[in-house]
Amino acid sequence: MSRVYWLSLEQRDLAGSSGGAQPEFLEAAAGDPSRRDFLKLVGFSVAGAAAASCSPAPVRQEIPYVAQPEGIVPGDAVSYATTCGGCTAGCGLLVKTRDGRPIKVEGCPDHPISAGGVCSVGQAALLGLYDNLRFRSPSLGGAQTSWPEIDTALMARFDAIRQAGGAVRVLTPTVHSPTLRRGIAAFLASFGDGEHVEYDALSASAVLDAHEATHGVRAFPRYFFDRAEVVVSFDADFLGTWVSPAEYTRGYALRRRPEGGSARGWHAQIESRVSLAGGKADRRIALPPDEIAALAFDVAAIVEQGSGGSGLASELAQRLMAAPGRSIVLSGLQDLPAQVACNRINAALGNYGRTLDIAQPSNQRRGSDRAVARLLDDAAAGRIAALLVWHTNPVFDLPGGSAVSKVPLLVSLAERPDETSAAAHAVCPDHHAFESWADAEPVAGSYGLTQPLVRPLGDTRAFLETLAAWSGAPRPALDQVRETWRDTVCPVDHRGSDFEQFWAESVQTGYAAGDALAPAEVRARSAAELDAALMARPAVSADAIRLTLYHKPAILGGEHAYNPMLQELPDPISKVVWDNYACLGPTLAARLQLATGGVARIGTAAASLELPVLVQPGQDEQTVAIALGYGGQITERFQGFGHHWFRSRPTVGPNGRVGLNAAPLIVPDRGLLRRHAADVQIAAAGRTQPLACTQEHHTLSVPANLSFGPPAPRPIVQEISTAALAAAAPEADGGEAGAHAGGDLWAAHPMPGHRWGMAVDVDACTGCGACVVGCQVENNIPVVGKDEVGRNREMHWLRIDRYYMEDESGLHVANQPMFCQHCEHAPCETVCPVLATVHSSEGLNQQIYNRCVGTRYCANNCPYKVRRFNWFAYDHGEGTEQLASNPDVTIRSRGVMEKCTMCVQRIQEGKIAAKRRGEPLRDGEIQTACQQSCPAHAIVFGDLNDPSSEVSRLSGGRRAYKVLEELQVKPAVSYLKIVRDARPAATATEIAHHG
Amino acid sequence: MAEAVPGLAPPLIDGNKTLGRITRDVCAPIERRPGAAWWAGLAVSLAALAAGTAAVSYQIAVGIGTWGVNNSVGWAFGITNFVFWIGIGHAGTLISAVLFLLRQRWRTSVNRAAEAMTLFAVMCAGIFPLIHVGRPWLAYWLAPYPNFRGPLWVNFRSPLAWDFFAVSTYFIISATFWYVGLIPDLATMRDRMRKGVRQRIAAFLSLGWDGSARTWQRYELVYLLLAGLATPLVFSVHTIVSWDFATAVIPGWHATIFAPYFVAGAIFSGMAMVLTLMLVARVVLQLQEYITIRHVDVMAKLVLATSGMVGLAYLTEFFTAMYSGNPYEEFVFLNRAMGPFAWAYWTMVGCNVGVPLLFWFRRVRQNLWLVFVLSLLVNVGMWFERFVIIVTSLHRDFLPSSWSGYTPTIIEVTTLIGTFGLFFTCYLLFCRFVPVIAIAEVKGAMMEDRHEREALAPAHAEEAVA
Repeated sequence: MSRVYWLSLEQRDLAGSSGGAQPEFLEAAAGDPSRRDFLKLVGFSVAGAAAASCSPAPVRQEIPYVAQPEGIVPGDAVSYATTCGGCTAGCGLLVKTRDGRPIKVEGCPDHPISAGGVCSVGQAALLGLYDNLRFRSPSLGGAQTSWPEIDTALMARFDAIRQAGGAVRVLTPTVHSPTLRRGIAAFLASFGDGEHVEYDALSASAVLDAHEATHGVRAFPRYFFDRAEVVVSFDADFLGTWVSPAEYTRGYALRRRPEGGSARGWHAQIESRVSLAGGKADRRIALPPDEIAALAFDVAAIVEQGSGGSGLASELAQRLMAAPGRSIVLSGLQDLPAQVACNRINAALGNYGRTLDIAQPSNQRRGSDRAVARLLDDAAAGRIAALLVWHTNPVFDLPGGSAVSKVPLLVSLAERPDETSAAAHAVCPDHHAFESWADAEPVAGSYGLTQPLVRPLGDTRAFLETLAAWSGAPRPALDQVRETWRDTVCPVDHRGSDFEQFWAESVQTGYAAGDALAPAEVRARSAAELDAALMARPAVSADAIRLTLYHKPAILGGEHAYNPMLQELPDPISKVVWDNYACLGPTLAARLQLATGGVARIGTAAASLELPVLVQPGQDEQTVAIALGYGGQITERFQGFGHHWFRSRPTVGPNGRVGLNAAPLIVPDRGLLRRHAADVQIAAAGRTQPLACTQEHHTLSVPANLSFGPPAPRPIVQEISTAALAAAAPEADGGEAGAHAGGDLWAAHPMPGHRWGMAVDVDACTGCGACVVGCQVENNIPVVGKDEVGRNREMHWLRIDRYYMEDESGLHVANQPMFCQHCEHAPCETVCPVLATVHSSEGLNQQIYNRCVGTRYCANNCPYKVRRFNWFAYDHGEGTEQLASNPDVTIRSRGVMEKCTMCVQRIQEGKIAAKRRGEPLRDGEIQTACQQSCPAHAIVFGDLNDPSSEVSRLSGGRRAYKVLEELQVKPAVSYLKIVRDARPAATATEIAHHG
Repeated sequence: MAEAVPGLAPPLIDGNKTLGRITRDVCAPIERRPGAAWWAGLAVSLAALAAGTAAVSYQIAVGIGTWGVNNSVGWAFGITNFVFWIGIGHAGTLISAVLFLLRQRWRTSVNRAAEAMTLFAVMCAGIFPLIHVGRPWLAYWLAPYPNFRGPLWVNFRSPLAWDFFAVSTYFIISATFWYVGLIPDLATMRDRMRKGVRQRIAAFLSLGWDGSARTWQRYELVYLLLAGLATPLVFSVHTIVSWDFATAVIPGWHATIFAPYFVAGAIFSGMAMVLTLMLVARVVLQLQEYITIRHVDVMAKLVLATSGMVGLAYLTEFFTAMYSGNPYEEFVFLNRAMGPFAWAYWTMVGCNVGVPLLFWFRRVRQNLWLVFVLSLLVNVGMWFERFVIIVTSLHRDFLPSSWSGYTPTIIEVTTLIGTFGLFFTCYLLFCRFVPVIAIAEVKGAMMEDRHEREALAPAHAEEAVA
């Protein structure tokens, strides 16, 4: 047993140094490697494997391997574990690569932070890797150059600055990579006046500042939503965009799942606009931003006194006081008194250390608005000699951010052109996250590794290596990361002291969860110790129109605005694509005589904008909401986007860009970048600008004038009350939902083997859109542009239907993922004249693209309207962008119908793997793309013929129903009813106690 | 001029024609040089046809996305036009076959032109199933033909496959029927023509017609048999076309009433179109004495009768929707009447049920200008009927999330205009090259009519003969 297999010399040395043969090697090489072993093996040998098979450009000549590398089978996909670089949440990924190129981003199910969830942004990051607009080489003064030349030039400048004692700043978003922090520190240490400034476009600086005030540590708490029975959120969209939505969604969904066994969580959302979190809340209250702050203050006062108060504040306080230590109060307001109030409530309820942790805080937000404001002041005053900007775009997303262009040496390390790189003197492009080694520590003590998955596509260089070069000690990023992990991560990890083994395992899994650090005692200061200014009730400006600036889950601060897939992901609430707009409540819109699509001029003291209006039900009637992150320079790339014909309309707006930048409306206020403002002027501008929306109609009730009786909602989204759920027989066995009492006119189709089906939990779904993008990447679904979406021709196979419901507890939003229902009696199948859509013996409704002539009869006859037609020969990218296509899925031609296949390629892959193992397929072994990435685990796929499978259990459960069951088309997809928590406060707490 | 005889219908053919005169009158338009009106008409029709051809070429080159159709409304103008043109065709078959079997002699003046209209209308209709598909170059896959793909046949459960059979059978039978009816007249043309290419073509096409009693006897037999064959088609074609909708699950389509409703509608629209065309042709071709007020009156009555049937169908649909208690069904019909396409619905009801009510009045039926305008309005109404059925049912169906609108593009409108161009081009050429009135048949009908009149009112008949 002493024979050792290796893939490269480096790997052999590695293996040798850890004392001989690795058990993984033997297992993997000996017989049938399991998927996991295979993964381990390849993860371990990534450097060699990647080098052996990478190809940076479309393959023009294909040459078979003369000697096939061990573990690489051409055409077989391999997954590597890494960490997402899409935002600072640090979710764990498994990236599927085939023949040396990443083709799909999936969630890493074992990851301690994200547990398998990935948001839409993380999944669409794949397009960012292959983006044609990425910088392919460094440039100096606008002229392309080489790395040695630019290094020489810049290091000469740095030397001059060192001698002159000039100030050098590195401006980044939150950096929680321990290696990068070391790298930046080492670089700055060589200067007399060096400082690392962090700021976040989605700033939560107020949370950090508030904790500095109340707890003495400037830290962002880690929230455990799975432990919270009561959540009160003051305008924090923690399910949509706030800090770490995938992680929070998972915890939140766990706590609310009726099948989970624990007491169902109760959630109140107080917000000005309609957010994802607000749509899911049991109690939703619309208030202007300043009144939200005041309400938080009132609740804090009641909770601290233990009684008293009245109205809304008292109601919320009662709920909270019934769940001490089992509740979370949070706020997304960039407002210090409001944040201090939240901290006071959490402290008074004893939540610290139970549902939120400040001793081992999250590192997902570290940015300081105060620091960046100071930086801009210094830059404007000419006090800064050199500024390095990495992964941020201050010129675009900070009011007054263009001050950075006054710095004598502005170096941009951006991946692709942006406003800041345009102003920069030197551009030293960084690798994409999938091209370089890096690490992450999103939560104190929890580490993630980022490994290269593809050879860099351009002549770019990792920021770590650039910093090392400029510090005078050039070192590969891998060495730097390994050094950090040897020094700091390995000693605290429990898996033994042998570094090489630890490193190998970490590369395989993509993360290392250290032992809990010794919790530092962080004590909350008492009210008396706090600054009186923070304890004053926030002022409320009555009767004025307020403004709130928000982010959209797909575009965030605008760093992903380059990505067409994210631009075309419908906003989860408004369902609008390719635009930002001013959201107004219906009453306010009527008062201003504005309708959706009419342009309004919105002005504050700082700036004014002309934006189309969107009338948003449920929005506070005194508040205008505008999304940030739009109108960036990069979106000029979409000027020619979409299919061209003589009546096509552009995807960009009149300004040549997608949307307008609302950042000038951000209010710098006492060290915080406030995203809300009072005293907004708004007036109709007298013109219109149409918005492209994927969903015309808002509710399930038909318009009142089109109904004989009072309009009744259609039973498409169904609800069950908590009481009814408790009374229902637990998990009625057998009998899939939808067994119609009237019996069936036709004999059932024999499906002796598998019968694939799905269960979708409408209660858990937040509407975030991760599944939509996952489906789109997996199935090579084209992005069609604003004009085509406006013509109701979006191509998404999976859409999320959004319906509003309003009752005394506020506006609720139902999100219903809708895709091909794979009906047993499929109406589409009988009508196709050429048999291009037929049923498989495993219950799949199949579409045969090359037989389809495109009569569209199937789509007309589909009650769910889930079929999608190629109206034109849609664009699938050019140049390297085509590499993002999944080679397992056909690109459909013009004139052909397409729709959800339940990821038939994955089913096939799973079946073949099981067959080769000689074992029956395990439940959960095959996961569809939408299911894999869902942070809420709202989608379950499996075999309905297997009574023990999860999908069978859910489909036969108390909450299961089928959409349009009465049509007797017998869909293979069951939906799980929304649970409506009608418990009054007292009973809710009672149940909570029993739970 | 034959005066109206008290107690008798006016004569079928005015002007005391001799048999030879009939031949000369009917053949005159094809023997003289065409007038300016004909050339102008041809120029306009060809321009429309050219525009339509350009639109269809562009659509085939670029994609069906150049139409206004979308994910929810997969069919709109294209299929509306298809059903509209198929419906237009029905009057021809009804007049030539059903009325022949029912011994309605008045049909002889209009049957040739009506049958030609059928052919051209079916040609126009036939274009749409071919061009409306996503990949028109593969549209032949809709036909069952022996092939090496398995062999892979069409889906015999799909109404579109039935459509293929129905429409192609209809076209073949109609063309045969028309041609067989034309044979004696082709022989007449042959005999009247100077030697030349045209004469030889007419000679070839008249299949050696010799006018003997045996030939006539066989001809009558074949014609009768073909009429018997064509009669079921009057009902079957539009029934099958209606099943394209009726077998679907979509509320507004899924209705058992569709077959009779569509057949009545088809005859209704076809009669209106025959009226429109005849009223123009009789003036332009100077055939006022062959296509008389009496013909117009009879056809107006038929329009009135079928209008009533269509109106009843509209009411029945509403009643069924309300009585069924099916909320989706209820909604679709209320949405038709009061939703975003209410204007189309009320255009349809107004033109198809309201306007024809005027035909109750004899004065209206005999005022040719009024009849012409009303027949045009009926055509508009019937086009909108198909539009309403197709678009309003699709644009708001089960899931409110997928509700959408529909706006036609200029390509679709031009394509519709192009089919009118094709129709009128064919029609004008027909008027130029073929006798528009069945000479042989009209002679027979006239003589029979005359004999009858003589028997019933000898005094008047003597006068007339003198």
